[in-house]
Amino acid sequence: MSREIEPLIVGRVIGDVLEMFNPSVTMRVTFNSNTIVSNGHELAPSLLLSKPRVEIGGQDLRSFFTLIMMDPDAPSPSNPYMREYLHWMVTDIPGTTDASFGREIVRYETPKPVAGIHRYVFALFKQRGRQAVKAAPETRECFNTNAFSSYFGLSQPVAAVYFNAQRETAPRRRPSY
Amino acid sequence: MLSSAKHQRNHRLSATNKNQTLTKVSSISSSSPSSSSSSSSTSSSSPLPSQDSQAQKRSLVTMEEVWNDINLASIHHLNRHSPHPQHNHEPRFRGQNHHNQNPNSIFQDFLKGSLNQEPAPTSQTTGSAPNGDSTTVTVLYSSPFPPPATVLSLNSGAGFEFLDNQDPLVTSNSNLHTHHHLSNAHAFNTSFEALVPSSSFGKKRGQDSNEGSGNRRHKRMIKNRESAARSRARKQAYTNELELEVAHLQAENARLKRQQDQLKMAAAIQQPKKNTLQRSSTAPF
Repeated sequence: MSREIEPLIVGRVIGDVLEMFNPSVTMRVTFNSNTIVSNGHELAPSLLLSKPRVEIGGQDLRSFFTLIMMDPDAPSPSNPYMREYLHWMVTDIPGTTDASFGREIVRYETPKPVAGIHRYVFALFKQRGRQAVKAAPETRECFNTNAFSSYFGLSQPVAAVYFNAQRETAPRRRPSY
Repeated sequence: MLSSAKHQRNHRLSATNKNQTLTKVSSISSSSPSSSSSSSSTSSSSPLPSQDSQAQKRSLVTMEEVWNDINLASIHHLNRHSPHPQHNHEPRFRGQNHHNQNPNSIFQDFLKGSLNQEPAPTSQTTGSAPNGDSTTVTVLYSSPFPPPATVLSLNSGAGFEFLDNQDPLVTSNSNLHTHHHLSNAHAFNTSFEALVPSSSFGKKRGQDSNEGSGNRRHKRMIKNRESAARSRARKQAYTNELELEVAHLQAENARLKRQQDQLKMAAAIQQPKKNTLQRSSTAPF
């Protein structure tokens, strides 16, 4: 087990959303052109208004990737009956480029964590070929990343990162990290 | 008319139940005196509510011991039937009654089997069934210290199934067979999650407000614990990420330092050369 995914395991992203995987492609998610997402950090919802820039690695332009952003804690972490809520999906992203080169099949929806502290997960899957993802999910709520990825033959993720967010007016006991 | 028939059957059942429990007492050395006391209360099972409540009280006193008994019995039951496949109900059913070889008395055997699993609680429900009063089931769950969840799920399934079998429509043998299929499927396939609502519903029903508030407090406590666990996990994940970042940055720092040293060395070697070159280049003038 590589140490890279330890925060994902401790943060229960692996377990609640994803299965154990071996990260093999680099992915950098940047909000507002200067806020880089790293696991477990808290971001203010005001930073998340527009979709982030997602740069991915990979060997070459001929490999294609699907990016899924979802919230496993909707509508509240203690009763996540909508798990997972789909926020964004981009498919056919060529390797070594960024998400803007892909096909946005579910447009970005700004996270609005009403109750509790939510995790927002970005998961990157390698496609078998171009246009491997043939259909977009019909609804955003009760999405299942695992089922979706295995249905379209995406197998295990190649990269994942998550951040936390909560209501900006939420009561905070101590200054957050 | 139907109810009187039911009475008869219930008496018969309780008699067989008593025999079963008595044999059980003699066979199982670890059984406590509570089972014998409950069986005595069963022998006097009558439709009168006052006696019923008395019996309930008596059973409530020794609730801990009763649960212990159930626990033991359910463990026995599990050990016997764990190798059977989950999707096939018929062999399981046969397996449950395979100690008795008479094919004509399957229903009776089945009831005996379920009574064997939990002697006291089902006898309670048997006694109360003629009144059409199903709230006695709630008594089973009203003990202030609830048993482990798995035990509850196993035995509550059997208990509700038993109530199902009290249906007066179930008379002919063919009917019994189909009913068995259904009830078995229901009893063995219901997971703990599926049974939680029914048991909590039973808790809510027929309890005073004190119990209700305690219940709510208990729920809140559980929620709070979950929330605290999530918070700890979040913090731990964040710390792990920072540690990773520190390790990464340290490695990068070391690499950059090495690079700088190399560049310095290279510069030191190159400097004199450059000087000579400069001189040589300026030489012609």
